[in-house]
Amino acid sequence: MSARVPSKLKASDYKSDTRPVWCPGCGDFHVLHSLTRAVAQIALRPEEIAVISGIGCSSRIPAYLNCYGFHGLHGRALPLATGVKVARPDLTVICAGGDGDGFSIGGNHLLHACRRNIDITYIVMDNEVYGMTKGQPSPTTAPDWDSKIAPGGPGISPFYPLVIALASGANFVARAFSGDPNGTAQILVDAIEHPGFSFVQILSPCVTFRPDQREWKKQVHPAPVTPTSDAAQAARRVMTDDGFNIGVLYKGSREPYRQTVGQEIRFDRNIDEEFLI
Amino acid sequence: MSRAPDTFSQSFFMAELLVHALVIELEAVQSYKDLAVQMQQCGNDEVAELFEKMSELEAGHAAKIREKAGDIELPDLAPWEYRWPDLEPPENIDLAGIHYLMTPHHALKLALENEMHAMAFFEAAANDCTDERIRSLAIEFAGDERQHVAWMEDWLAKYPEPDADWDYDPDPPAAID
Repeated sequence: MSARVPSKLKASDYKSDTRPVWCPGCGDFHVLHSLTRAVAQIALRPEEIAVISGIGCSSRIPAYLNCYGFHGLHGRALPLATGVKVARPDLTVICAGGDGDGFSIGGNHLLHACRRNIDITYIVMDNEVYGMTKGQPSPTTAPDWDSKIAPGGPGISPFYPLVIALASGANFVARAFSGDPNGTAQILVDAIEHPGFSFVQILSPCVTFRPDQREWKKQVHPAPVTPTSDAAQAARRVMTDDGFNIGVLYKGSREPYRQTVGQEIRFDRNIDEEFLI
Repeated sequence: MSRAPDTFSQSFFMAELLVHALVIELEAVQSYKDLAVQMQQCGNDEVAELFEKMSELEAGHAAKIREKAGDIELPDLAPWEYRWPDLEPPENIDLAGIHYLMTPHHALKLALENEMHAMAFFEAAANDCTDERIRSLAIEFAGDERQHVAWMEDWLAKYPEPDADWDYDPDPPAAID
């Protein structure tokens, strides 16, 4: 049994009155449950949380929560989340989105968010497809995934988000499966509580454009190893696994970015005057 | 992952068994409510209404368990600390079985399967139990679930299996023009 302080709020207390418009059966419903269960378990109040997203099906998630939220520009969730965390370090900042938003248009931001190691938890609901725009291959799509829109498959090597995150300096790296909402909630608690930049890839099936992903439930399995604090070892494990190992893979101890107390930016000159024409 | 079949065979304490029974029903209330919303969103009002009804039924079951628990203090377990035989509580609908064009027959079939899972859960709990008092409570819960199974079977009999093309959509979402 947990020694954690019992939560005053239930998971359902973190949900807004806005009804999700995801397709029936979408894995993102489970991610929403997992996230609300996680924050209830940590006993965070809704006003202590900010959920920031970009564009895509999964990026709708801030609307379905009653904490602070920002539904931002495509691929720009991490810069927004960074800004929120730097301006309001007291908030628990959770960034969320999909594989297209996070690894394609927002791919560069992922690298630098990992490097900066600001205390943010980044959740990517990975369904290996652009669902909102009718099923184009995304950065994590297998090269041979055949579809009407990409006959024969995209034919290019997929992006390995966990390895990239490790190589770029993320302080916590995990893979979860939406069909295991309680296990995912546990991983999210761990990710939120771990200092620095935490990256969680959640395999979240798209039942409309990737009905084959219904099989993921049979394919996922607990990672046969305990988390390591050695990024190189974690990267080797991820590079050689089958893509369905679920669990916390890496917990680093790098000091997260913190604003130095009292070192506020001051302008010695009158900046308005300098811009006068 | 939260699956813990090795710990499932261990005996339950009284309060633990009660909290598992209660959470099975409470989670089912929420799960059916969510499914009703999902069905409403895609215009499948008949199944949405059915899921609403199921949610109300489960709320009734939860109230009965609360009554049974009386003054017993129930433990505050983290979601992953429950000893479910699968990834979720036995009465939660697996989203993988959901389709936007599903019929009442499909919905009731899923609900029936879940009641059977719950019955099996309590039967297993009773079998593993050495404490006679807890064992008899687990048997009672299994009996309740058996009754729910019978209700679902009666209900399902009113909705025969639909035609093979029940999921035909003349304007499917995955079409590429």
